[in-house]
Amino acid sequence: MGISASLAAGRIVALSPDDETPIDLKRPAVAAVLSWLVPGLGQLYQGRRQKGVLFMVSLLTIFVVGLWLGGGRVVYASWKPGEKRWAFLCQAGIGAAAIPALLQSWRLEGAAKQPVLLSSFMVPPLSRGQPVSQAYATELARVDPDIEPEDFRPLPPWRQFRPFPPPGMLDRTPADQLSVWHKQLGRFFEIGTLYTMLAGMLNALVIYDAFSGPMHPAPRDEKKEKR
Amino acid sequence: MPTSLLALTLLDRVPGIAFGLPLVLVAAVVFAATHHEDPAAIRRATLEWLGWLGGILGGVLVVVWLVGRLV
Repeated sequence: MGISASLAAGRIVALSPDDETPIDLKRPAVAAVLSWLVPGLGQLYQGRRQKGVLFMVSLLTIFVVGLWLGGGRVVYASWKPGEKRWAFLCQAGIGAAAIPALLQSWRLEGAAKQPVLLSSFMVPPLSRGQPVSQAYATELARVDPDIEPEDFRPLPPWRQFRPFPPPGMLDRTPADQLSVWHKQLGRFFEIGTLYTMLAGMLNALVIYDAFSGPMHPAPRDEKKEKR
Repeated sequence: MPTSLLALTLLDRVPGIAFGLPLVLVAAVVFAATHHEDPAAIRRATLEWLGWLGGILGGVLVVVWLVGRLV
């Protein structure tokens, strides 16, 4: 449908700030949801191809680079007391790319006590004393060089990760998995977190653009200018 | 951890400030593209936003560096 037909049909349009040509926003709410799911997808749906591709490539690139720099560990959702991952609120702005983190957190802390496919991708770090399934405990001890099978004690029907030692006994193992990740990754944990957070936050602007078109500069106040 | 030891070793030698540059570039692109529709205008605005963001962040870094030298 052309712009004049869109106007005639009462469709919502925005004006380009550059040459004031109308932009057909189609169904803005649908476009906004699409842009949240995949950056730029809402713009593609509206037929604004160049902007859609530009947003998609730039935001997904910094999200993936951030995830890679952080060794795949920096995007996870955790709401355990004392281990709340506030950064995820920003990372979630990137949409579908961050959804596996929610799924993994829900599965690990739910009845199954193990992530999907036993994969440690976007899984929150284990805290001291956390119960997990036997299968996940075996898998972690197999794939993670910093975790030994002895780090899990029987807690039928689960296995407990690094339980607190009895009073008076010294414990030299790191308290939780997050400390190990920080030690392994050093500054890249923070850099990866920053990249993925910024990708999610910038996508808020992209969602706004899909919903209401490009932002216009504030109108000039002629009275003030005359003074 | 980054996928290979070589990549980690190479990345470890890169000064921290260099990791901020791609973020400034992407932020400038997104700011410009959400304020314009015409590709030529987006390109022009990206350069303007790069100047603003680079200038502000550079200014903050200079102030932090100077304060660090004085303390």
